Amino acid sequence: MENIEKKMREEARRLLEEKRVDVLIGYEAGTLPLTATPCFITAPEEAERLVWNRFCNHNLAKYVHDVISQHRNSQKRVKPEDRKKKVVGVVARGCTTRSIVIHLQERQYGRDEVVIIGVPCTGYADRRKVSQALGGEAVLEGALEGDVIRAVTEGGEKKIAVADVLADNCRTCRFNNPIISDVMAGEAAPPMNPEAEYDEVTAFENLPIEERWAYFVKEMGKCIRCYACRQACPSCYCPVCFVEQSRPAWVGISDDPSDTQVFQIMRLYHMVGRCVDCGSCVSVCPMGVDLRKFLKKLDKDAFELFQNRAGSSLEDLPPLSRHRENDNEDFIYHPEIGGHNT
Amino acid sequence: MSENEAWEPKIVAIVCNWCTYAGADLAGISRIQYPPNVRIIRTPCTGRINPFYIVKALQQGADGVLVSGCHPGECHYLTGNLSARRKFAMLKRFLNYLGLEADRTIFTWVSASEGERFANVIRGVTEKVRKLGPATKLVKSL
Ligand code: SF4
Ligand code: SF4
Ligand code: FES
Repeated sequence: MENIEKKMREEARRLLEEKRVDVLIGYEAGTLPLTATPCFITAPEEAERLVWNRFCNHNLAKYVHDVISQHRNSQKRVKPEDRKKKVVGVVARGCTTRSIVIHLQERQYGRDEVVIIGVPCTGYADRRKVSQALGGEAVLEGALEGDVIRAVTEGGEKKIAVADVLADNCRTCRFNNPIISDVMAGEAAPPMNPEAEYDEVTAFENLPIEERWAYFVKEMGKCIRCYACRQACPSCYCPVCFVEQSRPAWVGISDDPSDTQVFQIMRLYHMVGRCVDCGSCVSVCPMGVDLRKFLKKLDKDAFELFQNRAGSSLEDLPPLSRHRENDNEDFIYHPEIGGHNT
Repeated sequence: MSENEAWEPKIVAIVCNWCTYAGADLAGISRIQYPPNVRIIRTPCTGRINPFYIVKALQQGADGVLVSGCHPGECHYLTGNLSARRKFAMLKRFLNYLGLEADRTIFTWVSASEGERFANVIRGVTEKVRKLGPATKLVKSL
């Protein structure tokens, strides 16, 4: 990991020195112990600020999109011949590159507007699991020693193995190495455990329908509609989100539980073929809503029905933007036979 | 419960203008009887149907939602129904996964010449929804 960090800094410095990028998005140490935070650097010397460790949990593709689209908007008032292109460099692990692939497929920006420093990834620590392991006590001091987190709290010093607090999405990640990159900071990382990817979904599918509904109601009952999940999601970039549209108003804002459920169904559903399981929504949710249980189902079905895994290749277009004549039709109702097989 | 005896399934049918809507017309012109439980919403094509419509209809108290358009290969915009088929395949599985009964959302094809099939679909769907009883999940209490 230290080697990756060193290599990453070198590459970042070089890109800025050679002026191949206008801004570089990476991670720096957070203000609290055991955290990292996104940072934007524009000068080669600043490359020393960059870090790469187990606390880098943000999907930086979100910021790539933000920076480029804001820049493009600012250019609208400039004469076409004077418009400037902005090239964004980004430190990207597997899931970040998948989100970039989605942006490229959805024509949000061109491949020439982003330079990717690919980092092999071995997963990040889930801050909720860390806090649980520490009995909820505030971390006064902390450091990462290899694959062990050392944390000092009021109650004393504790050591936690990263493996024990790995985020759920990382545990079963299928694409922990970058899908696309311009330079790589290090050798490919060993695979995680993708065989177990859908275990949780399968278990949920096998529950009786009333239990499934009760769980959905319970989880969505926690949601306070802060929209942090949407803000953190690299695939949520609409200038006007359906949530704020008022003609028609897709979702009500009353305290009737169904309004929140409908909001959630709509947001979850339009992640079909667009959720890369980076865990961003889950990690920012202040209420601990189990969003992944539902998102992963969409991923499973899109693979079963259309053999697509979101953002897993530039050539494989998103499942809902194409179709085949012989796509699955099992769910179509035929009155003659009195049913369908779902 | 007397209220329940009087209960009749309320079904929203979202159909495309060129096939299923014409099929419903044909059923009418041919005087084929079918249950009056369905409220038809006409759209240009199934490809135009935002899956949100279905979710919204369920929230507004529909006991069932039917979506129907031209058979594959017969869409008047060529492939609108093929894209729709993908969206609905995903939606139906997803709603069921969340715990909504599979029979509350039904998808089918009815062409302009299939007045009889249209009536059969409405009969079948009404029966299915009647068996499930009034919708309670996701319904907004107004
Ligand atoms: S989901 Fe995969 S690529 Fe993303 S942080 Fe986890 S292990 Fe790394
Ligand atoms: S982040 Fe959590 S609480 Fe906030 S809107 Fe999303 S699911 Fe609801
Ligand atoms: S016009 Fe009927 S489905 Fe497209």
